[in-house]
Amino acid sequence: MEMNRRALLLTSAALAANVVAPEAAFAQEQPRRGGIMTVHFPTEQRILNPSLQASTGVYIVGGKIQEPLVDLDAAGNPAPCLAESWEATPDGKTITFKLRQGVTWHDGRPFTSADVQFTAMEMWKKILNYGTTLQLFLEAVDTPDAHTAIFRYSRPMPLNLLLRALPDLGYVSAKHIYEGTDIRQNPANTAPMGTGPFRFVQYERGQFIIADRNPNYWRNNMPYLDRVVWRVVSDRSAAAAQMESGQLLFSPFSALSIADFTRLGRDPRFEVTTRGNEGNARTNTLEFNFRNPILADIRVRRAIAHALDIPFFIENFLGPFAKVGTGPIPTTSPDFYPANMPQYPFNRAQANRMLDEAGHRRGAGGVRFNLRLNPAPWGEDIALWSTFIQQSLNEVGIRVEIVRLDAAGFLRTVYNDWNFDLATGWHQYRNDPAVSTTVWYRSGQPRGAPWTNQWGWTDAETDQVIDAAATELDTARRKALYADFVRRANTELPLWMPIEQIFVSVINRRLRNHSNTPRWASSSWHDLWLAS
Amino acid sequence: MAALKRFALAYLRNPAAGLGLLLLIGIIAMALTADWFFPRDPLALAGRPLQWPGANPRFALGTDNSGRDIAAQIFHGARVSLLIGLVATSIAVVIGIVIGALAGYYGGVVDDVLMRLTEAFQTLPNFLLLLVLVSIFGSELTTVVVAIGVVSWPATARLTRAEFLSLRNREFVQACRGLGMGDGRIIFREILPNALPPVIVYASVVMAVAILLESALAFLRLSDPNVASWGNLIGLGRDVLRVQWYVSAIPGIAILVTVLAVSLVGQGLNDALNPRLKGR
Repeated sequence: MEMNRRALLLTSAALAANVVAPEAAFAQEQPRRGGIMTVHFPTEQRILNPSLQASTGVYIVGGKIQEPLVDLDAAGNPAPCLAESWEATPDGKTITFKLRQGVTWHDGRPFTSADVQFTAMEMWKKILNYGTTLQLFLEAVDTPDAHTAIFRYSRPMPLNLLLRALPDLGYVSAKHIYEGTDIRQNPANTAPMGTGPFRFVQYERGQFIIADRNPNYWRNNMPYLDRVVWRVVSDRSAAAAQMESGQLLFSPFSALSIADFTRLGRDPRFEVTTRGNEGNARTNTLEFNFRNPILADIRVRRAIAHALDIPFFIENFLGPFAKVGTGPIPTTSPDFYPANMPQYPFNRAQANRMLDEAGHRRGAGGVRFNLRLNPAPWGEDIALWSTFIQQSLNEVGIRVEIVRLDAAGFLRTVYNDWNFDLATGWHQYRNDPAVSTTVWYRSGQPRGAPWTNQWGWTDAETDQVIDAAATELDTARRKALYADFVRRANTELPLWMPIEQIFVSVINRRLRNHSNTPRWASSSWHDLWLAS
Repeated sequence: MAALKRFALAYLRNPAAGLGLLLLIGIIAMALTADWFFPRDPLALAGRPLQWPGANPRFALGTDNSGRDIAAQIFHGARVSLLIGLVATSIAVVIGIVIGALAGYYGGVVDDVLMRLTEAFQTLPNFLLLLVLVSIFGSELTTVVVAIGVVSWPATARLTRAEFLSLRNREFVQACRGLGMGDGRIIFREILPNALPPVIVYASVVMAVAILLESALAFLRLSDPNVASWGNLIGLGRDVLRVQWYVSAIPGIAILVTVLAVSLVGQGLNDALNPRLKGR
């Protein structure tokens, strides 16, 4: 199977250029069967079913147990998974998926188009975050036979957008488990059941999750591993120690401290890499609350952006895993990345001048005004970044008070109560701007929806561009529309995304076939094996 | 004057107590001279982060992972730690004395009610209670200090009550009652001064614990991030503990020395104030 896939890749010259080189070193090795994969699991999850919640914390477990219709191949192109092929009608309103035959759920029942229909209509369209926006105009899923699912949209759905979104937002759940139940409270949400290479066994809160090899998996003779164990370790230093002692073999999604990335990167036993996470770029945000009249003034927002020395911060604090960001679409997305957009390079004198012009003269102690900054409580980089914002703005006469809250408190205060001046966290970019990026800018988001436009900022032109791009079928015109979107976003600056990062994986070198797709950490690991 | 001299002599008879006093004076001196040695904001970006102590002559104790001068934070942090210690202890001691005095003096139902309340507080681990208070009311420095005071009073209350129980039927108290003094005056003017020495000694323990509680909060990143406290520095240093251990170790030593100094001074006060230990 592995050889077939490789041969397939090599037939396409365009793809061959992108095949990741280090993988080739292991190509001759015979995969070894057996072994237990141990994975660092830093934060407890309320849901493990990726049909219901799109987040890395869910994929790292649920992505091994359940499978999406479409996955990504090594080059980042849509590849068949539960769907074997697809086609769209010219008007873009009907998309037909041919489903894989002979696939069974872990309980032995066959996987059919009824499962796809149920999941799409009841989960993706109604519950799944980002899914509700993506499938807003999905009207029905027809199932003419057990292995055909026809998606009918009331407005054109670009096939490329859907195929790039489905690896994250296209996980299928079993209809017979969820039908007629309260989906949000279904016990299968924390004991997921799927078609994937590993079968859920046990979730012991605060300690571990176990999944065992699925002997009836549809890819012949796969997976290689006997078992996957996720160990809950919330303390970063303890997790680093467990990596060193071999109790953990993989720490995903930048869950160790930045200092430990450097330290373990020098250790020959480990590979510290962003490879395998390219499909999960993130940017550090600086979110402005327009209900504060000071921040509603565009001169103040631009002055704040000019006051931040991003290259200095990255060089001294984040190290080699980050680079200067240029806006909402990161450079890792060449299909949409627009060059030469408005930027705000570090210029303290200009920041001071703009603040003076906005009428905020320095008062007692050189202070112009005070602002509160709410940093999200995840990620060491967010803590460092919020301190750096505080230090930098202090230099231009803005006194910043950092307000620390736990995860629930942060989400409620910023996205529901709107009780903040500045906020900062991560924006995650998932292969296409329509998946999880434009919601940060489009007005009319329901109050309380995290990681969406809750700034009190409405811009008719931006809304129009976002809507047009989401239903544009022509690839070149879509790219041009997203360039307009970024230009508008960077000009009006309702929030600023000046740092671009890719998640860092720390991997024990005993692992083989790792990091071989742009969303490997989230993917099913059917071909992963452990060298002795 | 003679009494004071006797007190000083009794105190200094214990060399450890002398050392404690010396250390405490040193820490107070650091707090007072912080602005003179380090006039800049201790939280400001001072230079490249994570420079080892001594590597750069500008930063004798190096820089932390936010690029702040550790020495500046140690000096300015002395103020915060002493402030937290003093204010939280005052709150705890005042609450403790009032409740203990009322319970011990009146006895009966008043005693029952107040002591059940005290026990209710005592059965809750005070750090957990502190976490609850901070997560409800936020982690501003004032809130943290008041919260530490509020969780630290029960032991003082019990101590005061015990003293009052043994003092309330003494002849001098009977005499006061005979003279027609009011309860308030008897409690606070007559009995309290006699009950105070052990409470003062215990206050040093409360102060040491208060400083440690704030450090523990900060270690969990739940203390006020907008002040330069030693605990915040330890919490920040946790991420780089394996390589740049000095970020946590330096403020750790500062806390150790301060708590030690306060405890030794408390021990010395105990020796000096407790007549039964004279000539030990």
